Amino acid sequence: MEDYKFLFKVVLVGNAGVGKTCLVRRFTQGLFPPGQGATIGVDFMIKTVEVDGEKVKLQIWDTAGQERFRSITQSYYRSAHALILVYDISCQPTFDCLPDWLREIEEYANNKVLRILVGNKTDREDREIPRHIGEDFAQRHGMYFLETSAKEAENVERLFMEIAVELMEQAKCKELPKYDGSLGPINGKTSSVGDGSCCLR
Amino acid sequence: MSLTLLLEKYDVSTEDGLQKALSEIEKEECEVNESLSNALSRACTLEGRLRTASQAYCKLGEVRNDAQVAADMVEKTALLARDVSAKVRQLDLARSRVAECQRRVHDLIDLRVCSAGVDAAIRAHDYETAAGHVARFLSMEPGSVAAARARGAPDPRRDMDAAANTLRDHLVRKFEEASKKEDEAAIERLFKLFPQIGRAEEGVDLLSKYLASQLEVSIRRAATVSELRGDAAVFADSLTRVLECGAAAVERARRLLASAAAPPAQSAHVLLPRAVAVIQPTICAGVRRVCQEMMAARKLVLTDKADPLSVEHALGELALAHSRLQLYFGFLRRRAEVESNMDEAAKSACSEAIENLILGCDATRTAQDVLSHYLTLERYYLEESVNKALKLSAAAGSCSLVDDVFFIARKVIRRSISTGSVDGACAVLNEAGAALERCGAALRRRLAAPPPEPLPFPPPGARPPAAREPGAAPYLQLVGEAAAGAEWAERLAGEACRDAEALCRSERARAKLRSCAAGLGAAAAAFRAAHELALGALRAALAPSAHQWADALVDPDPDSEELDEEANALPAALEALAEEARAAVPHSADALLGGVLAELLARAERTMLRSAYSRAGGLALERRARRLAAWAGGGAPAARERAGALCAAAALLAVERLAHAPDALPPRAPLSPAAARDVLARRTDFKLEDIKRLKL
Ligand SMILES: Nc1nc2c(ncn2[C@@H]2O[C@H](COP(=O)(O)OP(=O)(O)OP(=O)(O)O)[C@@H](O)[C@H]2O)c(=O)[nH]1
Ligand SMILES: [Mg+2]
Repeated sequence: MEDYKFLFKVVLVGNAGVGKTCLVRRFTQGLFPPGQGATIGVDFMIKTVEVDGEKVKLQIWDTAGQERFRSITQSYYRSAHALILVYDISCQPTFDCLPDWLREIEEYANNKVLRILVGNKTDREDREIPRHIGEDFAQRHGMYFLETSAKEAENVERLFMEIAVELMEQAKCKELPKYDGSLGPINGKTSSVGDGSCCLR
Repeated sequence: MSLTLLLEKYDVSTEDGLQKALSEIEKEECEVNESLSNALSRACTLEGRLRTASQAYCKLGEVRNDAQVAADMVEKTALLARDVSAKVRQLDLARSRVAECQRRVHDLIDLRVCSAGVDAAIRAHDYETAAGHVARFLSMEPGSVAAARARGAPDPRRDMDAAANTLRDHLVRKFEEASKKEDEAAIERLFKLFPQIGRAEEGVDLLSKYLASQLEVSIRRAATVSELRGDAAVFADSLTRVLECGAAAVERARRLLASAAAPPAQSAHVLLPRAVAVIQPTICAGVRRVCQEMMAARKLVLTDKADPLSVEHALGELALAHSRLQLYFGFLRRRAEVESNMDEAAKSACSEAIENLILGCDATRTAQDVLSHYLTLERYYLEESVNKALKLSAAAGSCSLVDDVFFIARKVIRRSISTGSVDGACAVLNEAGAALERCGAALRRRLAAPPPEPLPFPPPGARPPAAREPGAAPYLQLVGEAAAGAEWAERLAGEACRDAEALCRSERARAKLRSCAAGLGAAAAAFRAAHELALGALRAALAPSAHQWADALVDPDPDSEELDEEANALPAALEALAEEARAAVPHSADALLGGVLAELLARAERTMLRSAYSRAGGLALERRARRLAAWAGGGAPAARERAGALCAAAALLAVERLAHAPDALPPRAPLSPAAARDVLARRTDFKLEDIKRLKL
């Protein structure tokens, strides 16, 4: 068995080109990839971080923003512990699409999933969405909010670390949904197949 | 001794003194004479030596002269040698110059022949010869041509360039004529001439364009679906034909490229991707046409929310179509690898170019659309099928719910793997996991409320019911299904990983697949939870009867008439229960019996410690406890120890006299001395002080 105590699934969603892949690669590999191509389907990365001296394994699913991959990406919502919804602060249409994304999340994700709104590309001069507009939106929909720049490595580490901390707290309070919210907690065993999808080990 | 010293030493004024001095002088004279004669005798040998020395000196002079001569000679030889090697070098240079001159002379002769020949050859439509001339010209050293010009000859390059251009124009025209006539032999012949005149790329473009135009016709033929039969995979078949035509064209281009007079090695890896780039759009257009028709024909008609089975056929066809597209892409990737005349670097450059072509081409997007369409339909199929199974099983009270849903899940997972897409398989694994979890949750809900008497376990004295509870059998079947479901979910995950292994082209893809398959573990947990809940409910349902049995077991006032029959009553009831349980819930019977018996025994112990026993009562209890322990030994191993403890306590209650108590305890009895004293205190005829004093 691997050396970690918690396993969390984090799924990134949002329009094509808002910088989801760049955020993930900045966090997992510490780089800003030049000429990052559009993601095909779903990409998958793992990073183990430490919170309060405990190893937390983050399984990060980077979904493609393009419409034609929707039927693939939707299938990942359900088992997510945290959903990061990303828009581009220099591109109004990516912000305007947020309600559509929320509908998707409503439909496919667990209703207790941790949701974070992220405005990316703060390094850009041509900002179109002021910070408070994003903040308002997040507050109205009960989401955490953060502005980031994958390019300048601003707030990226913080984004994922805060998610890890928050999820761990939830897990410790046994609030974390094991599956289908209506079932209530079952004894915290994971299955013997591979990773299991439960967080507690 | 000097004279002054002599004079000081001796008094020469006296005779005696003089005499002494004289004798001294005489003695000295003798000594001097002796050493003189010694010296004289040595002079002889010295002279001899001197002579030899002077002779040797003379000889040395001669040797020196000889050596000087030799040194001079060596120096002269070295000088000569240097001279010779310089000459040789010059000779070499001269020879290579001669060779170069010869080559240039050849070149010049050839140049003249070429310039003259190329026009003649073109006029004679002998393009092979003409191309040969141009190839010869291209292979000439620029120096030769320059030299020819320097000598005042008319610049041959202009002529040759003009000739080469004319030839190229001719070749292109001829190629186009041959294309129009579909004169394959001429086309292949002409194509091979382009690399010779230094225009390999142009040749590849012309050939690819020709192949593409040919392909357009055959693809149009392949892409027409004449008869829209609902039951056959007409579109997938048509797509297969389109892709086969395309693959044949690509392969033909590759073969011709390989057989054409070897182009400069460094451009070989450029030519194949270049050919594919020209041919591919035609294939893409055909692919899109067929796939669009297919998706229009095989779409979900949500108005007839009838049978999910109605989309099965469409699903199969979509999966097949997608896998065919993947197969074609695999074929393209391998084209770069089968090229044998490329080195490793060129090969990987070629592979990369092909990979980029695949990534950017329209057929890739079409494949993504087909996959998306497939997944949408597959999700509908899965949801509806599972809903149907759930409804059916609820209506019928029970049937093979787990069998049904796992049959469905396995079918959709296998079908998704057959698409050839890891992402497709992953998405369906996720969906299947969700559906199974839903199923486990539904099971759990239904198992939460068991019928009043799920298993026959009548309390003591009661007759077994004549007719079984009508809800019992279906309920028990569901319990078994919950247990089977957990096992199935895990088996399915392993199976999926194994089957989809071949699709993974990278370690990342493999990890992705494994993680999605592991999602089925959550479904397994849901089934397990349902199973646990059911076992709890069953135990709860059996509890009232078990309590009555517990009380009867430790009853202090036995009906002394039917001691034997009475002692056998509980094992008999348990055996009946066990038989039923093993038949109805084979996987869970042991756990269930163990649980029931443990609860029964715990209550019996508690009650026993609150009752008072006569010896007769103790004896009766002991008999019953022994029978029960004997049954537990075979029927419920989990409760054996607990039954042993009760048995030991009963043995204590059955002793005739308190003093016998220590012997009544079997060795390693599961009773502490304190517990044993507590038990003994329940005998009405034993005094507390005696019990306290007893050595246990
Ligand atoms: N200036 C700036 N550019 C960024 C930043 N993050 C991403 N980009 C650029 O945005 C473009 C798209 O980035 P991706 O990470 O590929 O976007 P994505 O959301 O993954 O897109 P899809 O995979 O198609 O859904 C790239 O050209 C990046 O260079 C950022 O923080 N600042
Ligand atoms: Mg991306």
